[in-house]
Amino acid sequence: MIPRPFDYERPRSVEEAVSILAGAGGRDAKVIAGGQSLVPMLSLGLARPDVLVDLSRLELNGIEAVDRRVRIGATTCHRTLELDPEARRLLPLAAEAARHVGNPRVRNRGTFGGSLAHADPAAELPVVAVAHGGEVVAHGPGGERRIPLAEFFLGYLETALGPDEVLVAVELERPPETSGVGFHEEAQRADDFALACAAAVVAPDGHARVVLGGVGDRPLRFEGPTDELPAAVEAAVEPEEDVFVSAAFRRRLAGVCARRALARAKEDAGA
Amino acid sequence: MSVVGERPARVVGRALVRHDALEKVAGRTRYAADFGLPGMLHAVLKRADLPHARLLRVDTSAAEAVPGVASVLTAKDVPENTVWVDVPGQTFQVGALKARTNVLADGVVRYHGEPIAIVAAETEDAALASVELIDVEYEELPVVTDAEAALEEGAPLVHEQGNLIASWQLQEGNVDAALNATHAVVEQSYETQFVDHAYLEPEAGVAWLDTDGVITVRAATQVIEHFRDLARILRVPDNRVRVIAPYVGGGFGGKEDMTVEPYLALVVQRTGRPVKMVWSRSESLLAREKRHPMKLRYRTACDAEGRLLAQDIGIVADGGAYALLSALVLLYATTCSQGPYRCPNVRIDARVAYTNHTPASAMRGFGAMQVALGYEGQMDLLAAELGLDPLELRRRNFLEGGDTLAVGQTLDTHVALPDLADRVEAALGPKPEPSTRGRRVGRGVACNLQPYGRCVWLNDWSSAWVGFELDGTLVLRIGVPDIGGGQASSLVQLAGEVLGVDPAEVVIHIGDSALTPLTGTTTATRQLYMSGNAVLQAAGELREELRPLAAELLEAEPDDVEFAGGGARSGERHVAFRDLIAAAAKRQVPWHRLSIFRAPGGDAWRSEASWRGRVFPDFTYGCHAVDLEVDPETGRIDVLRYLAAHDVGRAINPQSVEGQIEGAVVMGLGYALSERVVYEDGVNLTGAFAQYLIPTAVEAPEIEPIVVESGEGVGPFSARGIGEPPVGAVAPAVAAALADALGRRLTVLPFTRERVAEA
Amino acid sequence: MMLELLLNGRRLREPVEPHVTLLRFLRDQAGASEVKYGCGEGVCGACTVFLDAVAVNACSVLAVQAEGARVETVSAFAGDGSLHPLQQELIERGAVQCGFCTPGVVLGSIEAVRLGLAGDRMTIRRSLAGNLCRCTGYGKIVEAVEAYRDGEGAA
Repeated sequence: MIPRPFDYERPRSVEEAVSILAGAGGRDAKVIAGGQSLVPMLSLGLARPDVLVDLSRLELNGIEAVDRRVRIGATTCHRTLELDPEARRLLPLAAEAARHVGNPRVRNRGTFGGSLAHADPAAELPVVAVAHGGEVVAHGPGGERRIPLAEFFLGYLETALGPDEVLVAVELERPPETSGVGFHEEAQRADDFALACAAAVVAPDGHARVVLGGVGDRPLRFEGPTDELPAAVEAAVEPEEDVFVSAAFRRRLAGVCARRALARAKEDAGA
Repeated sequence: MSVVGERPARVVGRALVRHDALEKVAGRTRYAADFGLPGMLHAVLKRADLPHARLLRVDTSAAEAVPGVASVLTAKDVPENTVWVDVPGQTFQVGALKARTNVLADGVVRYHGEPIAIVAAETEDAALASVELIDVEYEELPVVTDAEAALEEGAPLVHEQGNLIASWQLQEGNVDAALNATHAVVEQSYETQFVDHAYLEPEAGVAWLDTDGVITVRAATQVIEHFRDLARILRVPDNRVRVIAPYVGGGFGGKEDMTVEPYLALVVQRTGRPVKMVWSRSESLLAREKRHPMKLRYRTACDAEGRLLAQDIGIVADGGAYALLSALVLLYATTCSQGPYRCPNVRIDARVAYTNHTPASAMRGFGAMQVALGYEGQMDLLAAELGLDPLELRRRNFLEGGDTLAVGQTLDTHVALPDLADRVEAALGPKPEPSTRGRRVGRGVACNLQPYGRCVWLNDWSSAWVGFELDGTLVLRIGVPDIGGGQASSLVQLAGEVLGVDPAEVVIHIGDSALTPLTGTTTATRQLYMSGNAVLQAAGELREELRPLAAELLEAEPDDVEFAGGGARSGERHVAFRDLIAAAAKRQVPWHRLSIFRAPGGDAWRSEASWRGRVFPDFTYGCHAVDLEVDPETGRIDVLRYLAAHDVGRAINPQSVEGQIEGAVVMGLGYALSERVVYEDGVNLTGAFAQYLIPTAVEAPEIEPIVVESGEGVGPFSARGIGEPPVGAVAPAVAAALADALGRRLTVLPFTRERVAEA
Repeated sequence: MMLELLLNGRRLREPVEPHVTLLRFLRDQAGASEVKYGCGEGVCGACTVFLDAVAVNACSVLAVQAEGARVETVSAFAGDGSLHPLQQELIERGAVQCGFCTPGVVLGSIEAVRLGLAGDRMTIRRSLAGNLCRCTGYGKIVEAVEAYRDGEGAA
């Protein structure tokens, strides 16, 4: 299949993008940046928007440390997180997770903001974002709106972004220097979507946070003592079965991912 | 037995760069979809949304009204809508009487994705917009999803004449008596799954109306002989249809039955205009023929020394909604189901049934590979029962040249299995230690046999034209479709060998049913065997035709003339082909040769369900070993080492032989570990490439091919076919290694992470 | 819309509709049939091209998004009678069978070596995970990339 026809807009500013979205009326307007999820969905007939608003030309990329936060521009591509030395230093958890996103070409073109806005529950970067905590910076007709990451993901392919809002950046909290981070994923093949994945942050006192992907309709966050978390995760998650695996096996993998991510984080904290 | 008693010397046996590789690596090869003509229409298919339903209404009026639509065709527009898998004088006999399929669904759809209508339009966009407007009203019918259930009394019918497509039953010796009087008996069921070919090139083609009203179809196909089927569909004489096969982007059996060809031909016949059709990956995954899933039931008995005494084998295959090649696939499964082992008492009950799944048909291994999971699993179970090393038990039972299979075929070439087993064992070394605590390492071995060349009842033949241009360059004209296995380049190498020409200087014209002599299909691991022999024959005859003239020019005795270095020579004297052919033209000595190689026949097929005698020209044997590491918590499997030994008789191009082995092993690993087409009540759920899990470079291990050359085989220079054989031993080797690692045997393919973790 | 881009050094100016992917544009409007359609989902890598020197799946980019870009296909690396050293390694090692994945493999591998992501065999395999091949079993491709990498280092 090939995509069915739609209109296309290439705004020169975020404001213009917002006004196009706000003026879409009853038409289904979708934002496109790297297009690594959207274009295949268009080709498979899984999305049939009336109009696409292309943000890929806006200067929204870049990574910078701001106090205890790291600001990631919406169109920063996965490959930057994966390979750029400064990005890796600031966000080692994202660097590790980015390696698991799609294949090298998808990582070359896919964007951080796009991954979050798309909100695929099996995607890696939303999990990392929730593990860090922080805020999504959105622009709408009323100007800037900050959405806490804990409230951003609402369900399968569903976020708190309004239909006339554009995600321009994400500000991630940096864990204290003394804590450690770890990521673990189980997938069918290299570069496939996660059957389950986990991002963990462990404080020196053993208090930990672990966020699970692939096992619910959005990233699922757990906190507590490191040793108790995997069992808590396995008990709490309620994944659905799909063509690949049963719900029970996904639950089991959730526990394994949590345990292994936490172990890595603990090691990292000790290092 | 080779046709001409040649001593290979100069280019045969060398890892020559394939003549087609340069164009391919530069991106210049024009595959089926890379071709176009001015004013070309674009055609797409309306496919069934349900797996089994009556078509109450197919309304195309809105679809036809879309601007740019040139034609919308349904079953009523097809001159002969029924296709029989049948070559006159050939397949008719082989239980294929019921192998009927429809070009377009007529009244009933029997599988999800079955074509209902063809839309052809000026643009792809218009065609897609139009096809969505075809309004189909269905009345759902009960869906048959299990082959065994399909054969039960009272099961809903997929076809009116009943759900049994074909069956083979045979009995050799007295199985019941032997089972009662033996030392050890093991009984086990095994199950294999629906698998897709997943070649990288989706089905595609372009067709046009040529001079004299010849409808010409240039398509990705393994079988240009489908021009005859197309002629029947169009109700025109055979000579009004021409099929051209460009280089094909992978076949593996999936381009053996027709794909886009009938639809393209119908649009050309209706509109007179050129037309292109390219299936999307989703269409290919949803509706393209698949590998037959089989349920295998084995009871196997041996004496105290581990010698097989009896095998009681049941096979039920899911043939999907149309018969196609099911009867033949089942024949391969039946013949090979005893494994490469001697056994005096064998009973086989093999059946293939219709269901409302995607039709199952040819795929690399063709029935012979599915049963390997069963017969090798049994050998492992017996070895465990007797406390014997699995390879040792096999050694005690290997077939030898001169032995007779249960089907009655006597093996008249060498069976190299003991040598293959020794070579594998010597290369293996000690079993590795787990890399991490909690992981487990397992080792497995498996052997197999796979026929090469078509079933002897099909009276197979292949023809080749070998000749020179007047400038002295060597040219081959030969109908072979090249699907990536080096089919054409091997023939170039053989002709170069016989005539003493550097293969790089040879040109080969392939795959045109009107202009190149027909070779038969690129299937059944038959092209090197059949067309290789045809080329060898034609080139040898041409050489002898030219010899007296060469002798005259060289002032030598004919017997002293040698063909080498791009010409003929005797001692210090040399005449280049340029001069030799010029002289031949002047003297009216033929400088080209058309020759037909006919496969030796066999004992006649006797009745619908049973026979005894030769079935295949010969077999290729293999022995594989695998070391793998399992993470029992997650079911993750890492293949640490993979050894694959095969006797290829003689390796015409060792690099191509290795390539076939390595590719087949990785395909076998996908089959063993991850690949499956998933259906829910007949609806195919794996319609995206992201859901059909073929191995990537990361899952694929380093393969160590061990190429053994026994010097016996029925191909040219005693070569044996190697395209299909290496795929069969993989799944049973993996099953054995997993059993070794986990202490429990998995019997249902694929061995997914979930099944491994729960073992 | 009017689309302008540089394809293998050649300037193109062509009208294009927004829903046309870069893959479809290259194949149907720009004559670049060396870019293959394998899945249209960004999974198989047969349509790999360089977009401003970065490897992308042309099926997953809209043609209009390539406005003003420099696009290179495998044809940019094979001149008249000459091959890129990686292409030479691929054919000499028997890493080309049906050849349908090959154009994508060439570009994917060149990028992997350029980025230093071909350090050992497993790294090469990871870099090629998005280039599916159903014929070769990958081993000979990996060997070819390794040899090319070593040749680059020596150069």
